[in-house]
Amino acid sequence: MTNAAITPNVTDPGLYLDGIPHDRFAQMRDTPGLVWHPYLDDGFWAVTRHADVKEVSKNSEVYSSAIGHTNLWDSEADALEARRSLIDTDAPDHTRLRRLIARSFTPKNVRRWEETVRSITGQLLDDFIASDGGNWVEQVAAPLPIRVILTMLGVPIEDADYLVELSNYLVEGTGDQQSIPPDAFGNTTDLRLLPFNSPASHALFEYGEKLAELRRANPQDDLVTTLVQAAAEDGNRLTGNEYRNLFHLLVFAGNETTRTAIAHGAMAFADHPEQWDRVRRARWSGDDGVLETAVEEVLRWSTPVLHMRRTTSRATELAGTPIAQGEKVVMWYGSANRDERAFTDPFTFDVGRPDNQQLSFGGGGHHLCLGAFLARLELIVLMEEMADRKMTLARRGEPVRAPSNFVHGVLSVDMGVETA
Amino acid sequence: MTGDSVTGDGITGDSGAEMLRVVVDNDSCIGAGQCEMLEAETFLIDDDTMISSVIGTGMLPRERALQVVERCPGRAISIALE
Repeated sequence: MTNAAITPNVTDPGLYLDGIPHDRFAQMRDTPGLVWHPYLDDGFWAVTRHADVKEVSKNSEVYSSAIGHTNLWDSEADALEARRSLIDTDAPDHTRLRRLIARSFTPKNVRRWEETVRSITGQLLDDFIASDGGNWVEQVAAPLPIRVILTMLGVPIEDADYLVELSNYLVEGTGDQQSIPPDAFGNTTDLRLLPFNSPASHALFEYGEKLAELRRANPQDDLVTTLVQAAAEDGNRLTGNEYRNLFHLLVFAGNETTRTAIAHGAMAFADHPEQWDRVRRARWSGDDGVLETAVEEVLRWSTPVLHMRRTTSRATELAGTPIAQGEKVVMWYGSANRDERAFTDPFTFDVGRPDNQQLSFGGGGHHLCLGAFLARLELIVLMEEMADRKMTLARRGEPVRAPSNFVHGVLSVDMGVETA
Repeated sequence: MTGDSVTGDGITGDSGAEMLRVVVDNDSCIGAGQCEMLEAETFLIDDDTMISSVIGTGMLPRERALQVVERCPGRAISIALE
C-alpha cells in the first residue's frame, strides 16, 4: 500500500526531542503522490506538501473533522461526543459555534486588546531584563499569551500559573507518558472521555464551570459572559458540554500555540542576529512592513501545531493517490512550511520573506485558526517592545523540547539578554 | 469584463487593471475576518450576525479580488458573473 521506498515514521514522540525530523519529511515530500504512514495497527495518508495541505484544509465536505478524530488515534463514539469542540465539528455545528465566538477574534476587535497586550508584554520583558535573562519559556513565552487570553476570558491573572500548569499536563497527554495519575485533580472521569486523555482536562472543565457560574450571576464584558449568555438563550445556541469544551479549547489553544511561536521566535532571533537587527532597526525607523513580514516568518519557522487529521467522508483522490472513504488523512504543517515548492530557500530564516504563505494557522479552510489575529498581535507587540528596550537575546543553552508529535513545544530555554 | 477604468462610488481602476466585483454568500461565511484584514474598505463583518458583507460597490482589481476569494476560509466569497 505504500508509495515510499522507506517505511516512514514521523509519529514517534521521542523523535521530536531533537526537533522536527525534517529529513524524513523531505523524503515524503519528494515521494510522488501521498505516502501511507503506518500508525498503531492501521495508518494514515501523510500529506506533507504545501499545496496538498491547502487542498485538504479547504475541502471540509470531503475531509471531515467530525468523523473519527482530529488526532492520530481513534476514539470511541461516546468519547468523541464528550470532547466535541470547534476543532472536531463540521458545518453546520461548526458554523454555529464559530460564529458565537468569532466576534472577539476579528482583526478589528482584536485590536481593542493592543494596550492590554502591550502592558502585559512590557512587564514580562522588564522582569526578564531585571533578572539578567533566564528561562525564556517560563518567564516570557508561557505567561504572555496565557495572561492575554485569560484577560479576554475574564479569568483573574492570579490563576494564570495554575492554568499554565494544567496546560503543560495536557501537552504531556499528546506524548507517550503522563506524569500525573488518572485521579489527579480529583478526576473520576474515564480518561478516554477527556481531551488529550488527561486528568488535567477535568480540572480545566471544573475551572470553566466555576467561572461560568460566577458570570451567570454577575455578567461582565468578557468572553465567558458571551458564552454563558449564548448558552442561556433559546434555540440551544450552546450546550453545557459545548461550553466546557470551548472554554478548554480557548485556554489551551490560546496559550500553548503562541507560547511555542514565541519560544521558537526568540531562538531564531538569537541564532540569526542579523535578522533581529533588521527587525529592530525597522521598528526604530517606523518601517512597519518588516515587522509584519517578520511575524509571518516567525510563524512559518515555529509551526506550533505539527499536524491535524481529517477523515474522508467519501472516496476521493489527492495528488494522484486514490483515498477510500473513511481513511485517515493527516496534514503535516511543519513539512508544508518547509516545502521547496512553496518557499524559496525554506530553511533560511528571512524576516523580509515576500508573499509568505505559511500554514501555521492551517491550510485556510473552515478550521483556520480562530486566534490567528490575536497571535499576530501578540507577536508584533512583543517584537516592538523588545526593540524599544534595545533588547538582544543570546542563547545560553540548548532548549528542552516536548516529546510530542502534535505540538512543537519548547519546555525551557536559557537565554541571556543585552540592552544596547 | 475588461476596461481601463471602472467608476462607481469613486473607485477607479489603475489604468489597464481589470476590475471584478466580489460578493459574499451569507450561509457560508464563518466570520473569520480574512476579508476584513485583506480588504478593509470592501468588507465589513456585522458585529451581531458575524457575517461579512460587501460595503460599496465591491469592485476590486482582479488580482486582489482573486486573492480574497482564495483566502476566504468559508469559501463564501465569489466573483459576480455579469
